[in-house]
Amino acid sequence: MLTIELNGKPEPVVEGSTVADMLAILGTDGRTVATVVNEHIVRPPERTTAVLQDGDRVEILVFAGGG
Amino acid sequence: MNISKNETAVMDVLNVMDALHIGPHTFNSRLILGTGKFSSTDVMLRAVRASKAELVTVALRRFNREQLEDDLFGPLSQLEGITLMPNTSGASTAAEAVKAAHISRELSGSPFIKVEIHPNPQHLMPDPIETFEAAKILASEGFLVMPYISADPVLAKRLEEVGCASVMPLGAAIGSGRGLSTAGMLEIIIRESTIPVIVDAGLRAPSEAARAMEMGCSAVLVNSAIAAADNPEEMATAFRDGTSAGRRAYMAGLMAESGEAVPTSPLTSFLGESR
Repeated sequence: MLTIELNGKPEPVVEGSTVADMLAILGTDGRTVATVVNEHIVRPPERTTAVLQDGDRVEILVFAGGG
Repeated sequence: MNISKNETAVMDVLNVMDALHIGPHTFNSRLILGTGKFSSTDVMLRAVRASKAELVTVALRRFNREQLEDDLFGPLSQLEGITLMPNTSGASTAAEAVKAAHISRELSGSPFIKVEIHPNPQHLMPDPIETFEAAKILASEGFLVMPYISADPVLAKRLEEVGCASVMPLGAAIGSGRGLSTAGMLEIIIRESTIPVIVDAGLRAPSEAARAMEMGCSAVLVNSAIAAADNPEEMATAFRDGTSAGRRAYMAGLMAESGEAVPTSPLTSFLGESR
């Protein structure tokens, strides 16, 4: 097992997990989110092949209300 | 063009011709809406529709399954004729704002970015130095940069010089409802600017939006005044009308002020005794 940081919280994941797997953990189909790993944007087509490493910081972001 | 003699039709044509240009983009509405603080997504969407706004702001947040209401991208995409202007709120440095802008463009596909860097949550005043640095970088990368700034004519000019698409000076502190407390400085910024000047923050009443437009602002950005109204949809309509009335008045040309009374009726006496 590896431990990554998913939206600021530690998350144990199996080796070989991808960004797409993180979307499944959080429960989003990924259509309205941006995915960022260690401050690098991971585009939708790359999510299934972006394999996570121990200690990676993964951010899954949406547009919320703001002025 | 076949312009009818009907004056209303003429005014409508003039209104269409009087579009707001930001970079290569054209908008018929001069009211920009913020989407924060609404009681629900449905109330927000009804307010956006009523406002006739074509440019609306959004903010990046972490995805949270318990707060799916927060995800506005889907609902806003359903509205026709809406362009998103993501903001960089949450950033307290230029580097953070640039990062937020890149992520936002990836998600929205919109070239607009509202650069908003306020390090102090007590007063939410924008940091002029970090804002300038972020604006310079993002403008050079092809963003249409809309910086939220204090009403500072010198900073506004510097932002114009580095390629910002507009400047957005505050009327008063965010969410304060103190109106156009910076009116004197706004007048200087409007006079000096060759890019659109958009009053952002502080407005409480549609009359203040009208006054900003009468002064020569290109547009106003309103959020709290509509979201925190008892009836946001009605208030959005009122701000639409106030903004539009103010713009019409500006285009019509306000009469000159005078320190003395100037009669509107003949004062030649005929009721008294003949002289």
